[in-house]
Amino acid sequence: MSVLEIRNLHAAVEDREILKGVNLTLRTGEIHALMGPNGSGKSTLAYVIAGHPHYEVTEGDILLDGESILDLEPDERCKKGIFLAFQYPVAVPGVSVANFLRTAVSNVRGYTSRPVDAEGRSGVIGSNLMPMREFRKELNEKMKEFNVDPSFARRYLNDGFSGGEKKRTEVLQMAMLQPKFAILDESDSGLDIDALRVVADGINKLATPDRGFLLITHYQRILNYVKPHYVSIFYDGRIVMTGGPEVAHMLEEKGYSWVEREFGEAVTA
Amino acid sequence: MSVFVKETESIAQSVQGFSEETVRAHSAARNEPEWMLEFRLNAWRQFEQMPWPQPTDESWRRTRLTGFDLNHFKPLAVATGQVEKGELSKFLQDELNEMDSAASMVFEDSGLRNRILNTNLDEHGVIFTDLQRAVLEYPELVRKYFMTEAVKPDLNKFTALHAALWDTGAFVYVPAKARVTLPLQVILNQCTPGVGGYHHTLVVTEEGAEVTVVDDLLGAKDGLQASVVELILGAGSVVRYMNLQDFEHSAWNFLTGRAVMSRDADLRWIQVSWGSRLTKAFLDVDLMGPGGHAELLGIYFPTGEQHIDHQTLQLHRAPHCFSDLLFNGALKDRSRSVYMGVIKVFPGAQKTDAYQRNGNLILDPTARADSIPGLEIQADDVRCTHGATVAQVEEEYVFYLMARGLSRPQAERMIVQGFFQAVLDRVPVESVVHKLESVIERKIGG
Ligand SMILES: Nc1ncnc2c1ncn2[C@@H]1O[C@H](COP(=O)(O)OP(=O)(O)OP(=O)(O)O)[C@@H](O)[C@H]1O
Ligand SMILES: [Mg+2]
Repeated sequence: MSVLEIRNLHAAVEDREILKGVNLTLRTGEIHALMGPNGSGKSTLAYVIAGHPHYEVTEGDILLDGESILDLEPDERCKKGIFLAFQYPVAVPGVSVANFLRTAVSNVRGYTSRPVDAEGRSGVIGSNLMPMREFRKELNEKMKEFNVDPSFARRYLNDGFSGGEKKRTEVLQMAMLQPKFAILDESDSGLDIDALRVVADGINKLATPDRGFLLITHYQRILNYVKPHYVSIFYDGRIVMTGGPEVAHMLEEKGYSWVEREFGEAVTA
Repeated sequence: MSVFVKETESIAQSVQGFSEETVRAHSAARNEPEWMLEFRLNAWRQFEQMPWPQPTDESWRRTRLTGFDLNHFKPLAVATGQVEKGELSKFLQDELNEMDSAASMVFEDSGLRNRILNTNLDEHGVIFTDLQRAVLEYPELVRKYFMTEAVKPDLNKFTALHAALWDTGAFVYVPAKARVTLPLQVILNQCTPGVGGYHHTLVVTEEGAEVTVVDDLLGAKDGLQASVVELILGAGSVVRYMNLQDFEHSAWNFLTGRAVMSRDADLRWIQVSWGSRLTKAFLDVDLMGPGGHAELLGIYFPTGEQHIDHQTLQLHRAPHCFSDLLFNGALKDRSRSVYMGVIKVFPGAQKTDAYQRNGNLILDPTARADSIPGLEIQADDVRCTHGATVAQVEEEYVFYLMARGLSRPQAERMIVQGFFQAVLDRVPVESVVHKLESVIERKIGG
């Protein structure tokens, strides 16, 4: 079992404090839903876990199996098994999904750090990739399994993708990279019913005992498909309440204004 | 042939410098007819009368000829005669082997070294020969098209010099309805250092013809190259032209190219500028007849102290024409690039559809790109857009790719490759695409 532990995390962007003491423990095998109003800092938390250079951690720590990951570059965190599905995936012009994913997968699975390639030829470290045929085969299988049209392999990353296509491609990438901990930042927003089901099915397929999920969402909707073990309410840069699935229902019923009435005071105090 | 060679050698040794005598000797060594000698001498006189470009000329404001002196070069290289393919240097053989071509010609210094026909071009009346020979064998065609229609000798100082001293180059003539599906490959290797070279490309297509031509330009160490490209497209003909310039970084390179397009002609011109210490390239497409379709695509990637300047003209003289220009360049170290372009729509050229985009990716803060797009529109029912960008590698792209496990260098490499992809996607010859990709790779790396 692995543990991702967020301890009293404070983070700022351009000198403005956004995260104000986040505490959260995520174990493999767990699905933890995080709900909170717009602008409360959910994406900031996701970015800080993934190591976005724009955000400065001012206090606290993030530990993966007891070791701090704060000094690691984003790619090193990824290689340790942390995956972030972006709320707004950027379009990278001219970089094809297949080309980029082959390098990503090769790094994560250690091909690029080997001194010899798959055929045993020695080469420059960093230039060896997963064999093309093997990669193609796996990508094709995963595309089928996760309902991504095969034509997307040759398309440029998120370039001209619809909202739903972007989110599905994020799930596909997660499936290829096989992370230990996946932070899914609103992977359900902007999806129609069918696309929501596809994304939810994808998450369920990947929700094995050796993997943990932090599911950031605004809606109870996805939780009808993906059953969380815990639901936390995020408000003004911290978690103000944690419970079981009933918390999501309560939130749906009472709305964020209730959260504000309930926890607004404490936060400003 | 070997007789020519001896003569050229002795003449090259006896004549020093750029002079009328050099022009005469050059023409004589090639047994040229009187009309070509006259043509050269006329051009020489024009060259002598024309002033050198001044920093006050709009075209030369950002590209100075500081350090350029004609007298530093020997005016002409010696031709060394033809050899079998197997006797060419290894890298030239590789260049030939990489491309699946209909036919190829290799030039070294001032003469043809090797010519291979992989397909029977004669059968369809297609001419693919070196210009030197074309002057003797197809004088009426050469007289009609050589620097008469597309690029005239007095267009600028370098075209005049070129007209007086032109040495290597291909003549491609494709008669009506003939189609050459595989590319015609032309390689120039200017191997002797410190000489002047004047490579010419003349492509003429008749109605409904189709052809693909690739010019591969190499060498020119410490030298000068003043080349001219003329593409003359007959009605409804289709031309794919690639000019792949990979000269030594000590070469001075001046290129003037123009495509003249009749009704419904279809052109795609790929301009690649990898090498040279300085390049000034004038590239024009002239849409003379209605329904023409022109794509002008360029890539450049200066490093070190290289200076690369492209100046383009999209001339819409006739209605219902389409032109699309895209030049993308990345810059490293202390390099510089200049892009200047004008879309000119003449009165009466209604329903013109014209685009012009220039993108620059600055990889080092010491590099600099200037981009000056322009429109001159004299018709009212047209659609024209232009735009220029000068930007650095987008940090959000880098983060996204790193979050998926790519190292920073891998991410940056991929983003730079991706930046060129919009042009590479439109390069019609696969072996050329691979070659360009590997040069980009090399340029990013070193
Ligand atoms: N790079 C940044 N620069 C400046 N301000 C930022 C930046 N990133 C986040 N913020 C600010 O931090 C606050 C929290 O933003 P964040 O995106 O984390 O909220 P969120 O909870 O994900 O909201 P939403 O539900 O709308 O996605 C907002 O006020 C936002 O404007
Ligand atoms: Mg968010």
